[in-house]
Amino acid sequence: MITRRIQYELAGRVFGPALLSFEAWQKRLKRRGKKRGPSPFGPPLESVKKLKEVMSLHYLEGRYADGAVPVAWVTSGFPVELLRPLGFHTVYPENHGALCGVQRIVPELSDAAEKEGWSRDLCSYARTDLGSVLLGKTPAGRLPKPDLLACCTNICQTVLYWYRCLADHFRVPLVLLDTPYVYGEARPHHLEYVRDQLGELIEVVEKLTGKRVDMDEIVGIVRKAREGTRLWGECLATARARPAPWTGIDGFFHLAPIVTLRGSEECNAYYRLLLDELGDRVKRGIGGIVDERRRLLWDNLPMWYGVRELSTLLAERGFNFVCTTYTNAWAEAGSRIDPADPMGSAVLAYTHIILNQDLPNRLDIMRRLSKDYSVDGAVLHSDRSCKPYSIGQIDLKERLARELGIRVLILEADHNDQRAWSPEQGNTRLGAFMESFS
Amino acid sequence: MRRAYIEEQKREHGRKAIAVLPVHYPKEILTAMDVLAVEMWGPPGPPRGAEAGRLQTYVCAVARNALAFMASGKADVVDAVLFPHTCDSIQGLATLLPDFGGWNKPALRYLHPKGEARPSSRAFVEKELVSLATDLESVTGRPLDTERLRWAIALHREIDGLKAQLLAGRPRLPMDDGALYALLRRGEYLWPEEHLVELRAARDQLRADPVQTGVPVAITGYVPEPMSIFATLNGAGAFVAADDYAAIGRRVVPQDGPVEGDPFAVLRDRTFAAPPCPTRASDPRIRARHLESLFGRTGVKGVIVHEPKFCEPELFDVPAVKRSAAARGLPLLLLEGELELELSAQTVTRIEAFVEMVSTGRAA
Ligand code: SF4
Ligand code: SF4
Repeated sequence: MITRRIQYELAGRVFGPALLSFEAWQKRLKRRGKKRGPSPFGPPLESVKKLKEVMSLHYLEGRYADGAVPVAWVTSGFPVELLRPLGFHTVYPENHGALCGVQRIVPELSDAAEKEGWSRDLCSYARTDLGSVLLGKTPAGRLPKPDLLACCTNICQTVLYWYRCLADHFRVPLVLLDTPYVYGEARPHHLEYVRDQLGELIEVVEKLTGKRVDMDEIVGIVRKAREGTRLWGECLATARARPAPWTGIDGFFHLAPIVTLRGSEECNAYYRLLLDELGDRVKRGIGGIVDERRRLLWDNLPMWYGVRELSTLLAERGFNFVCTTYTNAWAEAGSRIDPADPMGSAVLAYTHIILNQDLPNRLDIMRRLSKDYSVDGAVLHSDRSCKPYSIGQIDLKERLARELGIRVLILEADHNDQRAWSPEQGNTRLGAFMESFS
Repeated sequence: MRRAYIEEQKREHGRKAIAVLPVHYPKEILTAMDVLAVEMWGPPGPPRGAEAGRLQTYVCAVARNALAFMASGKADVVDAVLFPHTCDSIQGLATLLPDFGGWNKPALRYLHPKGEARPSSRAFVEKELVSLATDLESVTGRPLDTERLRWAIALHREIDGLKAQLLAGRPRLPMDDGALYALLRRGEYLWPEEHLVELRAARDQLRADPVQTGVPVAITGYVPEPMSIFATLNGAGAFVAADDYAAIGRRVVPQDGPVEGDPFAVLRDRTFAAPPCPTRASDPRIRARHLESLFGRTGVKGVIVHEPKFCEPELFDVPAVKRSAAARGLPLLLLEGELELELSAQTVTRIEAFVEMVSTGRAA
């Protein structure tokens, strides 16, 4: 245990940074001499280097976490602020799933899950994760085994079925925060239910770790989480400028710290750095793409395996995704967090997540984003394996087009499984969509 | 929708009628308030209206068909709709229809908690039951009478008890599967007292000794659609000796005794006494144990898993069901459908081959 702990600390503080600098130096050497062709994108963000460092360190630490500190696998919408004071190392299977999606290894992982009996029609994050667990394969080198699974249904019911399967596999406790869906206004007894569960949850994690949750520490972490989401919101808001200093696609990648390291100083430090850089780019008129002619909103998760190709196709014609409902969700939720009332505000914040609220609320958000970011059109990604996000898009498309007079395209794909994406068909549809603006 | 029957119930008895989406809901409260529950499992067949196109084709047929049916006015004979908190798709439908068009009458929701009983979820479900009763009061214009609720609970307990007897005594019931399932499923729309009479009559037919001579199989899944699956099974020489359909066996709650104390507390306990069901996010390990015990008790020779395509709650559990069958050394047949009106020729052949395999004792 002590040796493991030392390895864990060293990975995070000493070897990790050294290893990452060495890797970065090697990459620079390889790139030296290679000429960059003309790119439709603006100069790359300097902060990306730091982002890679922060996230790689997190995964590197993870390799040594089990046996050293308690490990929790956590859904993206879970109130992680409760776990941090107890020293949990947190793993976000959704974020890990995205990593696998970017590396295009999902078909192989999904095949393993399908062989076990999970249908290809199920959420591709779940299939990716279950396949990765079955094969022991991950681009992160190694994922630590969980001591606890922590699931919140504020993004979907599907995560609970998925985490049930993980609990069955790892034979570890699963704590659940069941957040009743909000139709119009949340009913008082729905909020009471969430509050009661938070109390139960604390008892379970205290028992598991043998430590008491210190409320003062929670307040400190909640304060940091609020600050982090505020900073993230400000980073996003820089894209209201013309040209937007970055692309919505960049935003998908820079989202990782607010999802996985929310409530930590390293998360906030990272977003301060990013915000400075974005602010500077706005001042100097540097855009995320070279020639921004049309501004678009993106709805739903990205297609992790194809974001680069997709944004290049659009950027070459002067189209930029300046806002996305997905990245915005992480800024919205945090605004309800109040360090003066950590539990009460957590109840409100974690219940009122975009995917846990009805379609009129979603339409309001899309209207607001469209206006605030002065968009000319919207692309709604109809994500085959994420029903909670995709149901309603056909009506949303019609309403956005009618009410705001913008062009809206529904693009059929999947967020993680490239087998559900037909590039020829998709690119033709996008081509025709862009054509319609001329 | 059974329009003529619903109209007669409203006219003759002054009842209100409510369309109910699958799966779990406290029917006792509706009965106590003189509300006829008309369940909508689809309806099966191709979508009855162009409005199905408002949901992508990767959403299950149950949600798409319900949308088409309701938005095209075919359910206008009912006074309201109730959406239980079953899955992401029904959750989405419960905002799409009332908020974006297709349903102008009251839309009620019943958000049952997920997972096993915890103090928080026990307290919550009780409040949610009261909240649903209040919503129903505004539909019916009458207050809920506590004594009448006790009566309704007792009535539904008896109905469940009879269903349990018929399912457990299946080998001794001189009836084919098609007739038994048609009888059980009439409870999806009949006024409960009428259904009770039919169930009692069936119970009286139970013999002392087995009369079924086919090979006993278990069936688990969502809803038995198309119903011709039973004719195919029986024709091939098998019969259903163990049922775990969400629409049938998983809603039979083993509870008896007098209805004492606060009826809402009784209904709360009923919620957690129900058999494990993935649409309530039951632990797959508990479900696996439940299934293994069911397979053992009924002596089935094979297991058929019959699921709708694109159904997350059901499909996530398939590996656990497979393991339960394997633990008992039982072969398993997985069928996925889309609420077709008839089984495809290929599915018929697969069922026949499966029955032949289990009858001859050739393990998969
Ligand atoms: S169904 Fe959608 S919201 Fe749920 S885990 Fe999958 S991608 Fe996330
Ligand atoms: S996804 Fe499954 S549980 Fe939900 S409506 Fe469809 S068939 Fe029913």
